[in-house]
Amino acid sequence: MNDMELENMRQQLGTLKKKLNEQEIVNDHLMRRSMRNEVNTITRRYYIIMAIGLFMIPYGYWCFVKLCGLSLFFWIVTSIFMLVCAGATYYTNHKISDPNLMNHNLVEARKKVASAKKFEANWLFFGIPAVILWMSWFLYETYQLHGGTFSNGLFWGSCIGGIIGAICGLSIHFKTQHQYQDIIDQIEDLTKGE
Amino acid sequence: MGKDSKNRTTMTTLERQFAQTVAEHKSTIYTVCYMFSQDADEVNDLFQEVLVNLWKGFESFEHRSDIKTWIYRVALNTCISLDRKKKRRSAEVRLTMDINLFEDRDEDTRQVDMLHKRISRLQPFDRAIVLLWLENLSYEEIGQIVGISTKNVSVRLYRIREQLKQMSND
Repeated sequence: MNDMELENMRQQLGTLKKKLNEQEIVNDHLMRRSMRNEVNTITRRYYIIMAIGLFMIPYGYWCFVKLCGLSLFFWIVTSIFMLVCAGATYYTNHKISDPNLMNHNLVEARKKVASAKKFEANWLFFGIPAVILWMSWFLYETYQLHGGTFSNGLFWGSCIGGIIGAICGLSIHFKTQHQYQDIIDQIEDLTKGE
Repeated sequence: MGKDSKNRTTMTTLERQFAQTVAEHKSTIYTVCYMFSQDADEVNDLFQEVLVNLWKGFESFEHRSDIKTWIYRVALNTCISLDRKKKRRSAEVRLTMDINLFEDRDEDTRQVDMLHKRISRLQPFDRAIVLLWLENLSYEEIGQIVGISTKNVSVRLYRIREQLKQMSND
């Protein structure tokens, strides 16, 4: 075999590589599976939030009314707030919980994910003031209960609990928003040029 | 939940890195598969199988060797062993390329087909060596990929060249 033949074979291999480099890999399935994993993570998180919200209704009665002696009205309003939170979470979850969401039209899927993201972002405008009001009311009730003074244990316990709750809540919120954005970016990558 | 969520995030990042690596080396992977196939279905099956094997080893690949060397090793091992077993299987994630080198009729494909016909007549192991040789890899690199000594590569290449020369004369 002479050098010319070898060079010829190398050229043929180069031609093959050039042809292949011009091709795109149809990697749609891998991307879809990755997106489905992220959606499943968010959905699972939502189910836990809903379960905690509903559990807070009977637990709140025992804790606020029976244990701390707060008013029944406070518990009713707290329960309504919990139901609203669980309902809002259910509503958001409903938008993205279709198991075939990522198998359908990706433009439609993007719309649903973007809508869920927007709804959750807007929820903070209601959630944060509502929690501040609830916390103030809770402190006011405990203040009244102890004859116009703050019980040290209850006050500091509530403050620390409130701060930890706020940090956890905001961290979950931003994580979920980030995951939504991730899914949207991936859909945009897939639908680019369509 | 935190740990699970963290693992899932890591998985996603890994999947993206994998997709990027495959995209960068797709022509290398496809070339190996093409040289070990006889028709379009077989090349797609092999491509699929190589990707599955690359994915299985991707997480544990710690960049101790060059990624291209690793890809070659996995691709060639997969193609050689599948060629021996003549076994096909379907995989969960279906990835392929929208090209049919066995049916296209343009001049470039004709040239590629000539190379394919020539290499196909060699034994699978020799096919692997000649492919790496055509890629201008050193004897040492070829030896590392196929798992034989540099001297052995040199001896085999001499025989392969003789075989190719014989084919040209036929």
